Amino acid sequence: MDLGLSGKKAILIGAARGIGYSVAEVLAREGCDIALTARSEDSVKDAVANLSKYGTKVVGKAVNAKQADDYKAWISWAIEALDGVDILVPFTSAGGGMGSEKYWYNAFETDVMAVVRAVEGVIETMTEQQRGSIVLLGTTSVSEAMGGPQPYNAMKASLITWAKQLALWHGKNGIRVNVVSPGPIEFEGGNWDMIKGTMEKFYASQLRQQPMGRLGRPEEVAKAIAFLASDAASWCNGSHLVVDGGFTNRTQF
Amino acid sequence: MKPHVMGWDREAMDVKRVVDVFRVDPESVGNGTPVERFPDPELGTALIPAARYYSPEFMKLEWERVWTKVWLLGGRGDDLNEPGDYICTDIGKESVLIVRQADGSIRAFPNVCLHRGNRLRPEGRGNAESFQCMYHHWTYGLDGKLDHIPDLCTFHQGGPPGMTLTALPCVEWNSFVWFSLDPNVEPFEDFIDPLKRHLEPYHPERMAWKRDVTVEWDCNWKASVDAFSETYHVQGIHPQLKWYLDDVNVQIDCFGKHNRYLIPFAAVSPRVAMPSQIPPAIQEIMVHAGMDPAEYEGRVSDIRRDVQLFKREHGAAQGKDYSELNDEQLTDDYHYTIFPNVSVNVHSDDIMLFRQRPHATDPNKMYYDIWMFELVPEGEEWPERVRHQTFKHGDKSIGQVLDQDAFNLPTVQTGMKSDFYPGLWIGDQELRIRHFHKVLDDYIYADGKQPTDL
Ligand code: FES
Ligand SMILES: [Fe+2]
Repeated sequence: MDLGLSGKKAILIGAARGIGYSVAEVLAREGCDIALTARSEDSVKDAVANLSKYGTKVVGKAVNAKQADDYKAWISWAIEALDGVDILVPFTSAGGGMGSEKYWYNAFETDVMAVVRAVEGVIETMTEQQRGSIVLLGTTSVSEAMGGPQPYNAMKASLITWAKQLALWHGKNGIRVNVVSPGPIEFEGGNWDMIKGTMEKFYASQLRQQPMGRLGRPEEVAKAIAFLASDAASWCNGSHLVVDGGFTNRTQF
Repeated sequence: MKPHVMGWDREAMDVKRVVDVFRVDPESVGNGTPVERFPDPELGTALIPAARYYSPEFMKLEWERVWTKVWLLGGRGDDLNEPGDYICTDIGKESVLIVRQADGSIRAFPNVCLHRGNRLRPEGRGNAESFQCMYHHWTYGLDGKLDHIPDLCTFHQGGPPGMTLTALPCVEWNSFVWFSLDPNVEPFEDFIDPLKRHLEPYHPERMAWKRDVTVEWDCNWKASVDAFSETYHVQGIHPQLKWYLDDVNVQIDCFGKHNRYLIPFAAVSPRVAMPSQIPPAIQEIMVHAGMDPAEYEGRVSDIRRDVQLFKREHGAAQGKDYSELNDEQLTDDYHYTIFPNVSVNVHSDDIMLFRQRPHATDPNKMYYDIWMFELVPEGEEWPERVRHQTFKHGDKSIGQVLDQDAFNLPTVQTGMKSDFYPGLWIGDQELRIRHFHKVLDDYIYADGKQPTDL
């Protein structure tokens, strides 16, 4: 099956590591040009250098998603550098955290507003092009409890609602919007890597709940994202794909 | 800011990253704890014979040539606030009373009645006006003098010589009391040198008892000293600490009889990838310092330094005087072994001290004393003295990290007795173990005595 990704232009935000980087790698391998960013300059540099081996155009610059003006400027820069944008996948997240009220603001800024600003930053170009595919990241923690009542879980839930309404609103312009919700994903330097090292028992209890007896790998989510981002998913719009190895108990009706 | 030379090639170790940690400039510490790296002693690479961990002969030599010759930690000065307050502490077959005198000084003497040898007091603490033996009521003053012998006229030889218990050397230093079983022991100043300058800036007298526990462990006391003398085992038995401290960039210094290492805390081990989220244990450090991890905008790798700067700025307002400590000391673990048996983690806000005592008769057993103290901020009430608890290994948890330390000591002890185990094969990260055993050997084999003279 041809995904039709070759020559497409993708903007990936928060893509220097983990699932984000993995998506960059899958898309670059499929022939996409890529503009990516993350907070740390070093890791952006490393990611750009590593991705260049696939022979497409890969550009990157660090930016702090909480600095709205810099961040919007980065998105304009990325569209310009790629000369358009076909795909947007924002991965920004403040991660978990409970207790301090500040976690709500962090999640709002990073999980929600950084995504909102990214979508708003590309929608005009996509509308002009009458073509575009946006994939937002949810989490299985929106539908099943994980780690206590956290702003992260609730804020991520808001993205899923918003994504569906974006899909309805912009469909007429050839823009598709879908959501992928990964379950626990393990990679070096990721949260589950740390949990495995610091909370052995909790980690083991999560493994026992995994039908396949392991956690997911970033590339297993990346391929699902790449599919939804591609023309091969031309009839998927407003969908929510749970990619969790069967981890959540509920039936995805 | 220059990384210390650790003495090993950090790149060739089992690490994921090479990390240079912030270290304070040795020139900048003034009269504070010295931070410069001392030249490594030439200690060779020989095996450390295993027999010393289980041989009754070696245990006897340790008793004769170490325990009865050195200064030993007896307790805390603040347990001796009032005249008549005493600490009764056991070491091997001996037991010692350390008593606050009316004039504010302290005295120590053997806890044994000169009549028929009864112990005067059980191990522990208390207050007494005099020490009256339970058996026939011989009565000793706080100064150890025999004040009264019932029916003295029936002892035709009179009372024991001088009518007094033997006076044992004792001193009070840095809020702790020390004693020696050797009346001719070297001056405490010489013994403790050079640690006064190292440890006094922590002001332990501003810290209150937080925990006072004794656990009987099924291993030789030296197996415990060894276990607290290296960070090499972090990757083995404390995997979770890799998201709490840097077990690779550890500075080791040996001086005289004592040694130390300096471990960066609030750091992530080079043995694991740097996480993007703040590890929970490091969050706790931040919260304790008065920071809100949710507010933190920096990178995880900057937290150690930022906690130092935060504490430097806000310590005084929190009633915590850090003026004599350098920035590293505001986060890091400075860990000293005071020969022979004290392992002490000193921190700006607390002290975690382990006293490792031999069993009276069995080289395969020891007593592990956990003494923890916490800084009482100025203006806050001094908390009530915690109760002393005693139990056996495995009966109760002593906390995740110490449980992990304790877990394999019994199997180390049994393993070492194997005919196929000649002795400890020690690496550079374990230099303090080698140094500790060298000092031990200097005591055991002093005066030209040889291992073959056992
Ligand atoms: S043994 Fe102490 S009074 Fe007799
Ligand atoms: Fe340990």
